[in-house]
Amino acid sequence: MAIAATADPFAPDPIAKVPELAAERPVVWPARTHRKLANGLEVVLVESHTIPKFTGELYIRSGNANVAKTAPGLAEITATVVRTGTEARSSRQIEEDLRRMGADIGTSAGADTSAISFNGLTEFSSDLLKLVAELAQQASFPQDEFERERRQMIEGLRIERTTPSFLANERFRRILFGAHPYATIAPTEAQVNEYRLAQLPEFYRAHYRPGDALFIAVGDFSAPQMMEQIDRIFGSWKPAEVPPAASAALPELRGRHVHLVHLPGAVQAQVLLGNHAITRKHPDWLRLALANSLYGGAFNSRLIMNIREQKGYTYSPRSGVHALRQHGYFSVHAAVRNEVVAATLTEMFYELDRMRALPVGEDELSDARNYLSGVFSLGLATQDGLAGQLSNVYLNQLPEDYLETFRQRIRALTAADVLTAARKYFDSPNDVIVVVGDREQIADQAKLFGPVTEYDAESI
Amino acid sequence: MKPLHISLESTKLENGLRVVVSPDRTAPVATVGVYYNIGFRLEPRGRSGFAHLFEHMMFQGSEHAGKMMHIKLINSSGGVLNGSTHYDVTNYYESIPSNALERVLWLEADRMRALKVDDENLRNQRDVVKEEVRVNVLNQPYGGFPWLDLPPVAFRNWPNAHNFYGDFADLDAATLDDVQQFFRTYYSPSNAVLLMIGDVTPEEGFALARRHFGSVPAGPPQPVADVREGPLDGLRRGEVEEKFGTLPAFAVGYRAPERRTQDWYAAAMLDQALHGGRAGRVYHQLVLEKQIAVDTGGGIQYPVGDLFDYNGPTLLVSRVLYKPEYNSEQTLTAYDAVIDAVRQHGIERDELEQVKVKFRSEYVSSLEGGHGGSIPRYGLMHYMACFTLFDNDPALVNSILDGFLQVTPEQVRSAAERYLDPERRAIVFRRPSKKGAA
Repeated sequence: MAIAATADPFAPDPIAKVPELAAERPVVWPARTHRKLANGLEVVLVESHTIPKFTGELYIRSGNANVAKTAPGLAEITATVVRTGTEARSSRQIEEDLRRMGADIGTSAGADTSAISFNGLTEFSSDLLKLVAELAQQASFPQDEFERERRQMIEGLRIERTTPSFLANERFRRILFGAHPYATIAPTEAQVNEYRLAQLPEFYRAHYRPGDALFIAVGDFSAPQMMEQIDRIFGSWKPAEVPPAASAALPELRGRHVHLVHLPGAVQAQVLLGNHAITRKHPDWLRLALANSLYGGAFNSRLIMNIREQKGYTYSPRSGVHALRQHGYFSVHAAVRNEVVAATLTEMFYELDRMRALPVGEDELSDARNYLSGVFSLGLATQDGLAGQLSNVYLNQLPEDYLETFRQRIRALTAADVLTAARKYFDSPNDVIVVVGDREQIADQAKLFGPVTEYDAESI
Repeated sequence: MKPLHISLESTKLENGLRVVVSPDRTAPVATVGVYYNIGFRLEPRGRSGFAHLFEHMMFQGSEHAGKMMHIKLINSSGGVLNGSTHYDVTNYYESIPSNALERVLWLEADRMRALKVDDENLRNQRDVVKEEVRVNVLNQPYGGFPWLDLPPVAFRNWPNAHNFYGDFADLDAATLDDVQQFFRTYYSPSNAVLLMIGDVTPEEGFALARRHFGSVPAGPPQPVADVREGPLDGLRRGEVEEKFGTLPAFAVGYRAPERRTQDWYAAAMLDQALHGGRAGRVYHQLVLEKQIAVDTGGGIQYPVGDLFDYNGPTLLVSRVLYKPEYNSEQTLTAYDAVIDAVRQHGIERDELEQVKVKFRSEYVSSLEGGHGGSIPRYGLMHYMACFTLFDNDPALVNSILDGFLQVTPEQVRSAAERYLDPERRAIVFRRPSKKGAA
């Protein structure tokens, strides 16, 4: 194609060269107001006046891991039913009040935490906080709401059992965590049917307590005034001793094993592999984060360039480090066409082993450090982004200056740090391998990577 | 409440490229987008899915930045990037620390100037796109439901009615010539808008735009396409097999009013009253009260677009997943009772007031964030781009809200009566091929 601006091949071409980066502008994290109320509730507030709204989370530091042995998923259904009624408001009233305030509330539970998340217009902040406080203290657990939500949960689980990524995660966590509560990501239908209504308020009264809770809010408010409001609204929440989370030894996983979940009619295979790693509090966390970013945690990473951009096996491969409170794990996943399951696993291991064997070059290292450091600062620009960063810091009880020092700590990391982390936490010789797909299409390829155990979508 | 006042300035370069800058010093970061006024509605016949495949090709190499360079240069500057294909626009965007702003503009200008791709790149991305279609549609419960299922039933004109993600045979048939032809036809500055949002002043932004985009040739005018669609003049029904999911489902599509008409403002409030969360009438009646359905949702262009980002015939959609002990007739009857009620009685004044507050609240949130906070001001960029390309007025982002807040209960009722006609709609049933575990 002829292009006017570059028609003369001998003229210096102002557009042929990549512009250098300009001088970096300083990244300043906003001031936090961090306090404990008299009843033990930990409060973190940050002002952010981008829009006339505010957003936040009330975290309860108990979740499904606390009940994995007695009633898996009980924390989740408790959270779900919390929003369906209080001593003062019916389910319908709650939903209409939220709409009247332009607000959203979400109630949920993961392995380690339950949460009431909220966002709304500043002009109604006091009303919304009152509703959050009501849900945290005076949920009424109506029988009919519980029965409906139980059925909803069962129907939701049935659909999840047809979803490849869910089936892969479920199997992976079972193998990786064995007898530990983290092995269960969702209850079975039978377990949901066994819930009794009385178990919900029992869990709620034991765990929804201020001394074990964390309140984070970011938004268009004055922090001192917001703190006064929170003190007034949440100050009467009664403290009580909270039962500790359950635990158990992790299984020793030696050698590679393949776990094949048969999904009849699947036209693609979901591949997932990984191993035990560390929590966010571990001193190696940033080393591992950087190693992960180089391996498969960024678009520009080795795995994605290899199996997507060079070979076209998959659309969305990714690796990640996942931190739970007691343990963490590293995993790699990709949804690939049936014919290339073996080829994909080969490349995943090749790239893992390359990270374990050879130091990363200085340019690649520098690019990855820039990536982690730059992307971290994008979180500053939105209320949601800030709330997410604060949740990381305070939920994991990281140092108070974590945000401020993150970028300099990333920049101090060396090729030796990456190599050390890869050798410790990319445990390729002992990886758990899960493949979800149609057995007829993929079993022969899967068995090349270790002894195979087969399951179906309903297997426990 | 105070009226919205988002600061923005716009200009137009000699080659026709429109430029919008919205300064915001909250953080030393910026979001940059280039939007082209072409989406999957206007891809060539026999080439379904091509607009999206083409979007992938835009990351495969341009005049001075070869394959992988776009991705490498943005990531190594501390930023993230992506692109997406919609009905009537395709976007390419980056969020970056603001010291990388010029580098991003250089990259975007380079790929607006010339695409440098080969057969190997096309083969590679065709494979990637097929896996994308499998992971999102063919290997997922309720994949593509109903955004791929409704248009072929509701519409008659191919641009509005075809498979937007692409039949694999059509993806296979695409050639490098098609790629360059599509690029020459639609990817010119006069068919695009460049947006910069965040840590940049209008003076800086305009100067950088001129430096990098000023010499891009204007290109030929875009062909005029006929996307007209006759009225949805009857009850049109379709069936799609649900290969994985355990619940039966249906989706209903009504023709939506033209953008920025009185009925459109009213229909947006009606939509919020029907489909807005758990208080919405459809969810409240079908899931919470009658307990026939397990999940419901809906909206204009639901679930892949919204009220603002289309510019042609589109649908107001409801989607219902229901319990297997009910049949489709019973469920449809319960759904129709909700629709009949708003057609006859409209909505209550207090309900309309609630809906307006919720709408306003969601609108400002969507401007601020988007993509879970990873792309700051994605929504602001997206709406300013659409208002520029469709209406030549990015400042509508500030004033458009007024039209919604002035809607009256009578206008809502009238829009419901006119548009939610049970005799003029499309319904697609998703029937599970295997029974649930029960």
